[in-house]
Amino acid sequence: MKNTLTKLALAGLMASTMIGSAVAQEDTIKVGVLHSLSGTMAISETTLKDVMLMLIEEQNKNGGLLGKQLEAVVVDPASDWPLFAEKARELIEVNEVDAVFGAWTSVSRKSVLPVFEELNSLLFYPVQYEGEESQRNVFYTGAAPNQQAIPAVDYLMNEEGVERWVLAGTDYVYPRTTNKILEAYLKSKGVAEEDIMINYTPFGHSDWQTIVSDIKTFGSAGKKTAVVSTINGDANVPFYKELANAGIKAEDIPVVAFSVGEEELAGLDTGPLVGHLAAWNYFQSADTDANAEFIDAWHAFIGDEERVTNDPMEAHFIGFNMWVEAVEKAGTTDPDAVIDSIVGVSVPNLTGGYSAMMPNHHITKPVLIGEIQDDGQFETVWETSGLVIGDAWSDYLEGSKDLISDWRAPMSCGNFNTVTGKCGGSGS
Amino acid sequence: MSNLKSIFVLFCLVAGLVSPALAQSDTESLRSLVDALAKGKYAETEQQIGALVATGDPAVAPALQALGAGDLYFRKSDGQVFIAEKDGKRFTLTDPLTLEVEGDAGKREIKKIKVNNKLRRVIRSALGSLTLMAADPNVRVAAAEAIFKAQDPAGIDALETALAAETDDNVRLVMEQARAAAVLNSDLEEAQKLAAVETLSEMGNREALSLLIGVRSNSEGAVRDAANHAVEKIEKSIAAWNTAQNVWYGVSLGSVLLLAAIGLAITFGVMGVINMAHGEMVMIGAYTTFVVQEIIRTSAPGLFDYSLFIALPLAFLTAGLIGIAIERGVIRWLYGRPLETLLATWGISLILQQAVRSVFGPTNREVGNPDWMSGAFELGQMTITFNRMWIVVFALLVFAGLMLVLKKTPFGLYTRAVTQNRRMAASMGIRTPWIDALTFGLGSGIAGIAGVALSQIDNVSPNLGQGYIIDSFMVVVFGGVGNLWGTLVGAMTLGVVNKFLEPYAGAVLGKIFVLVFIILFIQKRPRGLFALKGRAVEA
Amino acid sequence: MMTSFLFRAMDARAGVFLAIMAAVVILVPVGNLLVPHGSPFHVPTYAVTLMGKYLTYALLALAVDLVWGYCGILSLGHAAFFALGGYAMGMYLMRQIGTRGVYGDPTLPDFMVFLNWQELPWYWYGFDMFWFAALMVLLVPGLIAFVFGWFAFRSRVTGVYLSIITQALTYALLLAFFRNDMGFGGNNGLTDFKDILGFDIQADTTRAGLFAASGLALVLSYMICRSITRSKLGKVLVAVRDAESRIRFLGYRVEHYKLFVWTLSAMMAGVAGALYVPQVGIINPGEFAPANSIEVVIWVAVGGRGTLVGAVLGAVLVNFAKTWFTAALPEIWLFALGGLFVFVTLFLPKGILGTLNDGWSTLRQRRNSSDQEDGTGGPRPQAKQSEDAPASTPPPVPAMSRAGASHPQPAE
Repeated sequence: MKNTLTKLALAGLMASTMIGSAVAQEDTIKVGVLHSLSGTMAISETTLKDVMLMLIEEQNKNGGLLGKQLEAVVVDPASDWPLFAEKARELIEVNEVDAVFGAWTSVSRKSVLPVFEELNSLLFYPVQYEGEESQRNVFYTGAAPNQQAIPAVDYLMNEEGVERWVLAGTDYVYPRTTNKILEAYLKSKGVAEEDIMINYTPFGHSDWQTIVSDIKTFGSAGKKTAVVSTINGDANVPFYKELANAGIKAEDIPVVAFSVGEEELAGLDTGPLVGHLAAWNYFQSADTDANAEFIDAWHAFIGDEERVTNDPMEAHFIGFNMWVEAVEKAGTTDPDAVIDSIVGVSVPNLTGGYSAMMPNHHITKPVLIGEIQDDGQFETVWETSGLVIGDAWSDYLEGSKDLISDWRAPMSCGNFNTVTGKCGGSGS
Repeated sequence: MSNLKSIFVLFCLVAGLVSPALAQSDTESLRSLVDALAKGKYAETEQQIGALVATGDPAVAPALQALGAGDLYFRKSDGQVFIAEKDGKRFTLTDPLTLEVEGDAGKREIKKIKVNNKLRRVIRSALGSLTLMAADPNVRVAAAEAIFKAQDPAGIDALETALAAETDDNVRLVMEQARAAAVLNSDLEEAQKLAAVETLSEMGNREALSLLIGVRSNSEGAVRDAANHAVEKIEKSIAAWNTAQNVWYGVSLGSVLLLAAIGLAITFGVMGVINMAHGEMVMIGAYTTFVVQEIIRTSAPGLFDYSLFIALPLAFLTAGLIGIAIERGVIRWLYGRPLETLLATWGISLILQQAVRSVFGPTNREVGNPDWMSGAFELGQMTITFNRMWIVVFALLVFAGLMLVLKKTPFGLYTRAVTQNRRMAASMGIRTPWIDALTFGLGSGIAGIAGVALSQIDNVSPNLGQGYIIDSFMVVVFGGVGNLWGTLVGAMTLGVVNKFLEPYAGAVLGKIFVLVFIILFIQKRPRGLFALKGRAVEA
Repeated sequence: MMTSFLFRAMDARAGVFLAIMAAVVILVPVGNLLVPHGSPFHVPTYAVTLMGKYLTYALLALAVDLVWGYCGILSLGHAAFFALGGYAMGMYLMRQIGTRGVYGDPTLPDFMVFLNWQELPWYWYGFDMFWFAALMVLLVPGLIAFVFGWFAFRSRVTGVYLSIITQALTYALLLAFFRNDMGFGGNNGLTDFKDILGFDIQADTTRAGLFAASGLALVLSYMICRSITRSKLGKVLVAVRDAESRIRFLGYRVEHYKLFVWTLSAMMAGVAGALYVPQVGIINPGEFAPANSIEVVIWVAVGGRGTLVGAVLGAVLVNFAKTWFTAALPEIWLFALGGLFVFVTLFLPKGILGTLNDGWSTLRQRRNSSDQEDGTGGPRPQAKQSEDAPASTPPPVPAMSRAGASHPQPAE
């Protein structure tokens, strides 16, 4: 029995030393990296961790920030959503980081939101997401639906003459919301109810036979048909393999995807997929000097010429540079000061323009539509003439069409209702 | 690429028909048209393609073909257009009209002429009318199909000329169908259209249906009635075929489940080890395939079509040896404590996952389909993809092979003896520890070759195994632990049930129903479909 | 009656455990709230939440140990009951948000607003009241476990078949809760909670309170489990575990006993889930993942199956290791964790506590026998053995097997 006691005491001791040992050192600025390195999301997120390490290393080579060196604190939330909250708290409270770059899935972001709010720290979230959110402590450097989905649908409608739509997605909040927005948008453009087919599949779905054949059937109704895919990560490879084998060619039924980038294509033979589309704000094929430099740096850092770059990586690139600039502008890493100074900060993006942080904590981005090439890259076939401002609250959803977000001084509100003139949503 | 080359050859033949002198003088005017492709945006490119097609000269076909395939480039210095083929770091440049090699260029010296889907469609139908008279029947069929898809009335004349000269019945049929499709889109008289509807109605597949639905909504009078009638007829026949199609999908899903579960049926079913690392063995098999293909890609590209055959024994050996190592290192200490094997193998599965993640990186790895695994064929109104078909065949072969090993070889005899009565077997002189190790190795090896097959349809990532482990356990338990036939029947039943539920309930609900079905079924038969009888049961 | 029932749970082992728990439950909140920052005895809020989470995991492990360690029912689906309890609590917390959601809708949670739900689904009614939610925390897992167990135990589904269908149960629930159409927030689950019983959920005092509540729930559950396992009922359970058929032939209604502990265990898991959710701030279908249930079984095995305290110890230790590894060795922590599991199975087959017990009783036996040789007497070893029996002898392990002689059976 004494042994039990000792064991428990030992455990307690270990816990306290762990907490004690992580006292912050004063001579560095710490940056938290909160990406899953194991579990289901490791496949996408590990790359982002590497990008952050690369960006921090480069910044340090260029003299650091405010005369101090930056130090990355990497933790592994292991694709476990409550663990994201725990690790975020650990980063902020124990490691005392000044900003956190991380999260991929919506649920991981939702999980950490209250932590960032409570402890008043900064999160840079690099992935395209469903919108319907604007939080004081979070900066959304990925695309909102109006920076990805709607331009893509416009392109298909105008350039390809699509009249019938399959909205296929994984059953979670990003596809649900995006499809809700698209459905409302398509209907506003006069597309009939029976010309829209919506289909949801579970995470990691691997048997696509039935759905691909449904798509084929739906597509044989005498009207030009396209698939808008919000299928998530892992399920894409078997989906595209089935598509290719079933002989669905991009010339007949193009698939435009919002979650398929260079990284996902790296696991595929893209020969049969040439011409299928993706909408992003960045492609590795972007023909600019900044991008060539970024790709070279990435290859040198990772030591592998074959590794690709993708949109969320660019989002981290932009987000990190914005944070650096905002900190320099504010002269401190204090979150409140940075939140004030970052709005309006504009940094070069990799597609040859500048991206600016807007008052709603979303950024301006160009929208590119690319076609898959047989070398696993995208060829930009269309792009918006200017930059698109990320819209936190969609104009096509009943609950959010009256909401705006502005975190600058007098308003300082993430969900201001323009009809009632009050902060706090559509309610009282 | 090989496709492109065969077409080159073809065009050389076609070009040979035209007199050399004529070709010479045309080349200059054609070249200016071809070079014009490099200028302007998609809209202009489309016009240029039109101009090229208007020449009606088959010599422009290679340029169009290359344009559609994304192989047409122009040189930045002088704007001349070439077909460029990647050769190491540089590109080999070929003149698109004479098809002679004109030197090479670096990546930054040339620029690709961009095409999008719309242009590809335009090119496809343009090539259709240009290649209808080609020597290769397959090319003629492709040409006719292109016209069919484009429904281009301008193709009617070309088709009629081609039909007059056509001797191959299959090609004739496709051409007639293409002509019917084009006629329906033209303003020809009603009688012609009615005949066309009749042709399409006989064709009877989804593509015909698609066209006819379009006709039904765009025409009136007799044509509309005929189209309506044809649509109903085709829909009826397709509905009947749908059942067959669902059975096929079910069998195909079942064979995937069978492959995933069959190794487990040995390690878990026969040996009683709750092998949580089973999925990782499948993953190791898939990664072996990846490694084999990588080596082939860099050192012997010609062998690519055989990569799977090379990978099979290697995957079996790799996974089998790792299995034996696990058995010798860990599991042999745990016999008689099956639940603790759960704990240990779970630990091993974490280690293997992380090991693969460290070695190969966390991202998906590309495992290609060899040619014979790509594409699909039509059986009636069913589409059967080759990879699915071969996986079904392969799963059954593996099953049969395993049954043979267990029932007809000395090793199988020993295995059965040891699992049924260890002490007795040992007394008879069987070296039970070796049999344990080899049996576990066999189960793991089978999981490895399952991985080779699954790499053809699924992600090759460190998470691969996790996706199959639960389903595998369901299959083995549903079929009855310790009985391979149970695993076969269990896998097929679950596959077919799942696929029949999916169209009605959707993929998610369908899967939930299958799980509830398993739970209820186990209430009815608490020891699975094929319960083991005899003394072993209560052990 | 009740007090004497609980009192029976007390002995030296329980006493030590309860003393430690009492110390933890009192000292940690005190250290967090009363000891000033900067003092070496100050417990940061981060640690309070973390340890609170461990305590709820410990409660879950305790529930699994009750059915697995004492009744031989290996549940690979206990995380389902945990998650159901968590969802019941989560729904209460969602309703408490009221107009403070981003859309400010007084009744509908945010995720329903943006997915255009017009009204609250019927099964959300009542969850604005704490007592109702608290009742549901017990009833929902309890009812599902009861129905599931009713069928499964009557059909005499045992061993690995039972384990796999519990896995099917949790997997089916996982898929069901993933569906956005279910009205439980889909993959995102329920999050962004504001307050519980009127207290701000982010306040240090609330956290400390939740921590203390988790500690108390664990103590109470421990005492219930302890009384059960030491009662006649407990003896029957162990007998069911070791020789189910024999017990049935002796005239016991085995399925009734099983059903009772199974349902009780599910309700304990539900309580654990309910306490877990406000502390981590999110509940989502990921909690239903079969891997989670397997992990719980591993905690129990690491700590020592059939020892109750071992389950608690295992849960705390493994989770602490996980927390520590994921921060200290983010790239390779799975090697460490996996290695730990293999190590424990190979070298500590009875778990940490079981091994310690073994060592303890061997030591005592040796001393006793030497005492006897000296003629000084002392308690006879057999008597001591039988008293400790339910706690110290997990499944009948043939002594040979540890030495390497193998006895494969077609699974338990």
